Amino acid sequence: MNRPQLSSALALIAGIIFTCQAAHAEFKQPHATGIETYGYAWNSPDQDMNRALAHKADAGKGEAAYKVCKGCHKPDGAGLAEADYPQLAGQHASVIIKQMMDIRAGRRDNPRMYPFSGEWIVSAEEIADIAAYLNQLPFPTTNGKGNGYNLPRGKALYLKDCASCHGKTGEGDAKKFYPMVAGQHFSYLKRETRESRDHGRRNASPEMVKVLKNYSDADVEAVSDYMSRLNIVR
Amino acid sequence: MRPLVPTPLIAMISIVVSITFTNIVQADDAAAKAIHIANEVCAGCHGVDGNSLVPTFPKLAGQQKVYLLRELTDYKTGKRVSETMAPFMESLTLEDLPHLAAYYAKQKPAPGVVSNPSLLAVGKTLFLQGNSNTDVPSCDSCHEEDGSGSGKFPRVAGQHSEYALEQFRLYATGKRTNGARVMKAVAERMSEEETRAVAEYMASMP
Repeated sequence: MNRPQLSSALALIAGIIFTCQAAHAEFKQPHATGIETYGYAWNSPDQDMNRALAHKADAGKGEAAYKVCKGCHKPDGAGLAEADYPQLAGQHASVIIKQMMDIRAGRRDNPRMYPFSGEWIVSAEEIADIAAYLNQLPFPTTNGKGNGYNLPRGKALYLKDCASCHGKTGEGDAKKFYPMVAGQHFSYLKRETRESRDHGRRNASPEMVKVLKNYSDADVEAVSDYMSRLNIVR
Repeated sequence: MRPLVPTPLIAMISIVVSITFTNIVQADDAAAKAIHIANEVCAGCHGVDGNSLVPTFPKLAGQQKVYLLRELTDYKTGKRVSETMAPFMESLTLEDLPHLAAYYAKQKPAPGVVSNPSLLAVGKTLFLQGNSNTDVPSCDSCHEEDGSGSGKFPRVAGQHSEYALEQFRLYATGKRTNGARVMKAVAERMSEEETRAVAEYMASMP
């Protein structure tokens, strides 16, 4: 191969590699700054989120749009304990909207769900509809629970550190975007609590992370077990 | 003598009638043109009624109208690329496409062919339950339990398994890029056996 041929062949290969990478990159979750960054403000205003929050949500439309979600989160919104798919039935609409928007914007890393959460498959308005639909689904009690060995410790930690925001019965606070933790799968609560402690859940509230800093793995497990057993009378 | 019906009213009625009639004729013309295109341009590969006989060419009969129109439009605008389709798309205008999509959506789909029945059980489980170990969602959530699809989610029931397999491959390798973000993730997460099994199960659905 002479030199001009070689260089044009190299250029072609480089071109192909570049094109492939560009096509691939387009599908990757974006990365936004979060708790690891100095000056991070929890729940700062977001255009996508404001659009969803301003939308007059329609639970009926939400049921249809929920289609793409139920392949993992199941038709009754119960998720799947063994796969750490969170249960969503009865969750506050504001919480679902915030978490979805955090994933879309890359403030919460979730490569598993990202392909199913973008604007190519659900609009901001549809997310609000889905959230309204999920919020009115009956609260499940068949969620995954822990081994129950350390519930007194879990209860003590919860009442001391968590109840002031997430509520005595784990009901959360819709207005403040605090999730309902009652009836959530133990496996999911454990993973998210640990991730929050270790700065892996980058959209976590700094106040909560501060509280969790001194939690051992056993503490995380105990408090998660306790939360998974909280039951809300609605 | 005064006329029984005032002249302006007659004029109004005749205008309304003629506009309505023109619309009907135009719609009929377009539908007839769509049938003509289906026969002259598409039938060679996709069959006269959209039930292709060659398993690498997709069946279009009974396909979701919204999905078909999106795919046709994407072929026309270059968002979905196929060397085979390109020369045929050139003879069509964007205005033809909705009528063509409507024509195929109305045709009766023929049953598919299963070539490896031993895979059906695995295919059925994946289609209805997904695989939570690898985060593959169940297919029925978008494509419906009976595989009939809805709106932008295509009908998959009775589709040729060869065509379905090729699409899984194109999605997984990033070569089919239109409407592909969801399906790329799904196809990437599926094993070779799961892909074959689901393609067989889809072909088996009436």
